[in-house]
Amino acid sequence: MPPSPCLRSFSRLSLDASTHNFLAPRLLHPRVACFSTSTARPAAAPKKKGSTAAPKKGVKSLNTKKGKKSPGGDAGKRPAQGDRKALRKRIVLSNDNALEVSSLTDLDKANVLSDANEGKVMGLPAEKVVDALRAVDAFKTTQGWSLFRRPAVLMRKEAMQLASLFREVEDSATGPQKRTIRRILSGERMSGKSTLLLQGMSMAFLRDWFVISLPEAQDIVNAHTDYAPLPNSQPMQYTQDTYTANLLQQMLKSNVTFFESAKLTTTPDLPLPLPAKARLADLVALGMANPEASWPVFVALWNELSQPGRPPILLAVDGLSHIMRHSAYMSAEVKPIHAHDLTLIRHFVDHLSGQKKLPNGGLVLGATSQSNAPTSPALDFCIEVAQARQKTSDNVPQWNPYKNVDVRVMDALKDLNSDSKDFDVIKVGGLSKEEARSIMEYYAESGMLRHQVNEGFVSEKWSLAGMGNIGELEKVSVRLRL
Amino acid sequence: MSPRLNITTFTRSIAFRPKPQVQWPARSALRLAPLQCRLYTDSTTLPAADRSKREDARPIEHVSEEAASMAKTMGEEGPDLTQGTAIEEVVQGDKAAQANLPKVMQDKLKSEAPNTKPNMAPKGSRSYSTTTTQTGGNSALDMGLVDLQSVPKVPETPGLKYEMPSLPLPKDGHVKHRHDPVVEQVTNLLMRHGKKSVAERNMALILQHLRTSPIPSINPARPLLPGAPPPSHLPLNPILYLILAIDSVAPLMRIRSQRGAAGGGVALQIPVPLGQRQRRRAAVQWIMGAASKRRNMGSGKNSFAQRIAQELIAVVQGTSEIWAKRNAIHKLGVAARANIVLPRKR
Repeated sequence: MPPSPCLRSFSRLSLDASTHNFLAPRLLHPRVACFSTSTARPAAAPKKKGSTAAPKKGVKSLNTKKGKKSPGGDAGKRPAQGDRKALRKRIVLSNDNALEVSSLTDLDKANVLSDANEGKVMGLPAEKVVDALRAVDAFKTTQGWSLFRRPAVLMRKEAMQLASLFREVEDSATGPQKRTIRRILSGERMSGKSTLLLQGMSMAFLRDWFVISLPEAQDIVNAHTDYAPLPNSQPMQYTQDTYTANLLQQMLKSNVTFFESAKLTTTPDLPLPLPAKARLADLVALGMANPEASWPVFVALWNELSQPGRPPILLAVDGLSHIMRHSAYMSAEVKPIHAHDLTLIRHFVDHLSGQKKLPNGGLVLGATSQSNAPTSPALDFCIEVAQARQKTSDNVPQWNPYKNVDVRVMDALKDLNSDSKDFDVIKVGGLSKEEARSIMEYYAESGMLRHQVNEGFVSEKWSLAGMGNIGELEKVSVRLRL
Repeated sequence: MSPRLNITTFTRSIAFRPKPQVQWPARSALRLAPLQCRLYTDSTTLPAADRSKREDARPIEHVSEEAASMAKTMGEEGPDLTQGTAIEEVVQGDKAAQANLPKVMQDKLKSEAPNTKPNMAPKGSRSYSTTTTQTGGNSALDMGLVDLQSVPKVPETPGLKYEMPSLPLPKDGHVKHRHDPVVEQVTNLLMRHGKKSVAERNMALILQHLRTSPIPSINPARPLLPGAPPPSHLPLNPILYLILAIDSVAPLMRIRSQRGAAGGGVALQIPVPLGQRQRRRAAVQWIMGAASKRRNMGSGKNSFAQRIAQELIAVVQGTSEIWAKRNAIHKLGVAARANIVLPRKR
């Protein structure tokens, strides 16, 4: 159906001005071109420049400007497009001024899961882990990596919990029943949830797991990348080709050792032809180069990873509450698309909820955020229930019936309200005083904290930091925040 | 010579009356005699009117006192009177006595009663936490108070309530002056529209930029303060870096223009010496002005802090144009030194 203004113009065509010219003076009927909705306007005669008459003598003009002002601001060259954002998002991982910490030992494949390094600050090995973590965007701009000589992490209590989960999964790898353990990291703001996720990823890289990380869930759902309906899906799902291609690239860059040796064992069903004797890396490269084929490539890669003999998998996402609600995308009926209808997120959520198992075992980690978190009442409630169950199982909170419930999120997270050990919440709390002392000694040895680290100083900063909140601890002791 | 002030030779009398000296009488025995009239501030009862000693006027004894006296007469071990009375234990199982309890205790008794619905959500639960960060799993609540001692030690020096502090007092001992004075002054100068916390964030970003920037190279033509540490020490001590930059370009004087003093419509330029805070203030204002003229290459909240930090580094390296400004002021001050009118010596 044509738009209504055109129809209106069309109906007026019969009432053309010439037919009732005699009825009314011409002034009332300006000549209007039919099919035009703009108002009739006599073309203004082009004015000559500088022909405005000077104000008469003695008449005050309204112009209060004294003289010509010099053009404000600098008229120099602006930064090129994207430069400012690049500067803002730049990740700096070393500070040449900071002192080398002599006692810092590196994590390696043998000691990364051992209980011996509880409460110690351990360095991340540069070539194997740091590059991989950088490739998956695990470092955030708000974290204080740029103050120290090289990245190092504190092996806190929660990190040891995570290490024991890694051990459990690896122990079950030899048996027939491969375990899939799922955890949600939650805690106060700046308590180190993203850093704990990073620690989990570094453990996985060191133990030669396959890591798939969605570094920021907000980027998937905020409708900044293209999307397309997935053919033959019921109910309708949507793929994000550019994002998936980018994710494939990150996977290829970060899991270098796996892709070096991995061969293709199945014949994937792809819209594009694969070269003969292709390796797995060629498959991923195909998906990177052709974003329209990126989702079939991802599915084919997942099938490959599901074959027996492949390494365990770590699935990680940061900013969980973004994917537990409607996304910013719209369907063809102009209805918001639920985030679980996006294929990538559905893939993640299916494994988080336990609907699908990781065939070679593995870990699914989701970190919540407190500073960038849209409301997701169902997620908040499920976390609350899980935390209440950890204390005592008979006094769990009840859902407030006056709140809108997101049924899909509730279904996905309903295992949190059961006795299963596989799905739980890790509460990222404050540091203990010993841990606080250990990291403050590291600060002082790096030259970033100019104070003697003694009992009184540690407990003063520990209490100022809200009973050992590590972000606040860094703020009060290193960042010189007044 | 001005004449000496002579109080005795006033032209008119001054209403000045010496205060009568309050002196205690030498014989204090007088004060022992009790006053016969009753003063308002004195105790309300005269000794003669005190009837509390009478047996019938005594109030009924407290529950535990009564029990104690009863036990004493019976020769048994009664309740300890130094402790409070455990009312809950006394009224336990006594419905009639419970009805007479105050409301607070009744509510407490009710809340302790076994809940009929075990899964009931706790009342008044907030969606947000009002507590501080909990150390996960650790049930023992450690509030983290430094050296908390419940019983204060009795000081050895008589007349003191607490121990003598160890001198010299620590620099950050006073809560209002716990930060470096220069940092505090610069923070206040950075503040716009009274937004101190924004200024503090900018200050922290400036110091962070100073400590991550490479070691500055000193220009010998622009010497810093004498006795400055070597430049390799500066990035590790960003506060010292800041102080050194500010104090090195701080002008020694300002030029006051006195109108009408020179004659012919020309203002007389008079150099005026500045105090330390004023010098620092002038330097910070120059630095901030130069920083706001710098090109903003980035975006976001920290760009102004970054530009100020770059300007501070330029000052230390001698590339900033603030040095020329300072030298011009000093030159003008030297040229106009004849205009200084010193107070006449007496």
